[in-house]
Amino acid sequence: MVERRAPNLRGLVIHGLILFACLVCVFPLLRIFSVSLRPGDRIISTDLALIPAGASFAAYGKVLKQTNFLLWLWNSLVITVTTSIIGVSLASTAAYAFSRFRFPGSKLGLALLLGTQMIPAGMLILPLFLMIMRLHLTNTYLGMVIAYSVSSLPFSIWILKGYYDTIPRSLEEAALVDGTDHFGAFLRIVLPLSMPALSIAFLFNFTQAWNEYLVARVILTNSLMYTWPLGLFGLQGQYLTQWGMFSASALLVTIPVLGVFLYSSKWLISGLTLGGVKG
Amino acid sequence: MASVTLHGIGKSFGDTEVLSQVDLEVADREFLVFVGPSGCGKSTLLRIIAGLEEASGGDVLIGGQRVNDRSPRDREIAMVFQDYALYPHMTVEENMSFGLRLRGLPQGEIRARVSQAAGILQIMPLLKRTPRQLSGGQRQRVAIGRAIVRKPKVFLFDEPLSNLDAKLREEMRVEIAKLHQKLRTTVIYVTHDQIEAMTLANRIAILNKGRLQQVGAPEEVFGQPANTFVAGFIGSPTMNFVDGAIEANGTGAIFRAKTLCLNIPGDAAAHGASVILGIRPDHVWVSALEEGQAAQGIVADVEVVELLGSKKNLHLLIGDTRLLASVDASIPVRAGDSVSVRLKTGAIRLFDKASGNRL
Repeated sequence: MVERRAPNLRGLVIHGLILFACLVCVFPLLRIFSVSLRPGDRIISTDLALIPAGASFAAYGKVLKQTNFLLWLWNSLVITVTTSIIGVSLASTAAYAFSRFRFPGSKLGLALLLGTQMIPAGMLILPLFLMIMRLHLTNTYLGMVIAYSVSSLPFSIWILKGYYDTIPRSLEEAALVDGTDHFGAFLRIVLPLSMPALSIAFLFNFTQAWNEYLVARVILTNSLMYTWPLGLFGLQGQYLTQWGMFSASALLVTIPVLGVFLYSSKWLISGLTLGGVKG
Repeated sequence: MASVTLHGIGKSFGDTEVLSQVDLEVADREFLVFVGPSGCGKSTLLRIIAGLEEASGGDVLIGGQRVNDRSPRDREIAMVFQDYALYPHMTVEENMSFGLRLRGLPQGEIRARVSQAAGILQIMPLLKRTPRQLSGGQRQRVAIGRAIVRKPKVFLFDEPLSNLDAKLREEMRVEIAKLHQKLRTTVIYVTHDQIEAMTLANRIAILNKGRLQQVGAPEEVFGQPANTFVAGFIGSPTMNFVDGAIEANGTGAIFRAKTLCLNIPGDAAAHGASVILGIRPDHVWVSALEEGQAAQGIVADVEVVELLGSKKNLHLLIGDTRLLASVDASIPVRAGDSVSVRLKTGAIRLFDKASGNRL
């Protein structure tokens, strides 16, 4: 018979703190949800009810019908997904080279990549804009993808290089003897084992590009090319801010990110390489 | 099946030379063991044969073909790694069939080969498991199975048993010996364990500091060691060494050390030479001294007695000369006793003091 353990004080305190932290995180979301349901005349009410009196989804309808919201969302999706795929592809191969091969400048290269992370993002906006402009890529998906990919690449390379370093080389050597080449060993052995780190790199690239505002503000001037942060900003007027539509949009744009997070979470497991070699 | 030939193999990492002028011929179907202390270059040599490491100089020939410029996959070898190196994200079956799938073999043949190897190694029930669900011994069997299914010309084993416990190591040693008898394939095996080398090998190649010291059958390297390094490395407990000189004694010769003087076989051709006398502990005969009885042979004091079951090791002191004797456990000797010691003259080996080579 399993003996039931008496609740201990330490456990209760820890669980209490976790619950409190969860509430703190969820509260703003609930408030945004509540505001998005409010009728226009009660937008700045201080009422704390989650479902306000006269609640409706009218703001969601307005966002979808009266603005270019779906176009902004599409632009964001194209730029973000392309950026993430290109970013992870480049980072995964570059990190493998840094992890496995000794070549002149490998240490300097890694240090320089780290160095780019020390530069404040604001300082990069002007040089980025000038480069994109000279390439005639303003107001294009490609311009945005290049700008976002290069800025998140160093971090992704460092994450992946660190992970590759933990994968025993003997696994690749076994694959080489078994009949593959270096690239085959990378594709068939190293990449599948690096799914947790690849997921983190993908999520990092995705969230960076999805939420980015400043670079998009500079590179995109055509409203038809706007990403959702730029579009949303347009709802904020000089005299009147459409808080209901603003909140509804803010909630709608979390859906893709939530989907990507949920899907990636199955790869975010540790210990994928357990058992392969003698620990 | 194929022979392996090494011609003047050298390897340096920067200024550090790890292998120097290694020449060796491994015959078809032979079981050759590289043995030596850690850092002697034996694993590097194996990796050069596998193509995982590039030699700084010399040629590697497999089946008479120079393979220096061939990648590991084109050398028709299979390798079992020290740390198993099983692919963690694949099942046992997928691990074993990985190389066959890469070579595009038909599904039916892949299944047949995997089943056959799994049957030989008794791992049929494990085929659907992943490496993390296996014990150390099972993982090692799978690693061997992955090599077997390929039907390579040469098997390379890099210290495959060093991560197993003593009992399992003994079992797997027998398994590997049986496997070689069954498959009759050329095997090159690396170990630092001289018992593994002695029990498995047709021939042993002893390496030290990147140089081949001796290549020969186990009995040969044990009985006729080429130098003091081989004599000291092969055999457990290790051989006794006593510094001294050869002096003429009529038509024969005498070995004279500080506190030891022995008639030794052979002529006095090398008289006056500084030598090292080597004698294995098994060949140091000890008998208890009866009270009032005159000592036969040399009298020694017993410093320490180590009981090892059916045998015991006696650490003896003759003046300031130390000797180790491995004797039957039934001999009634205790620490502090004085004993009579005789050396089996036919088993004495003499080495040149300057070069360490056997005379």
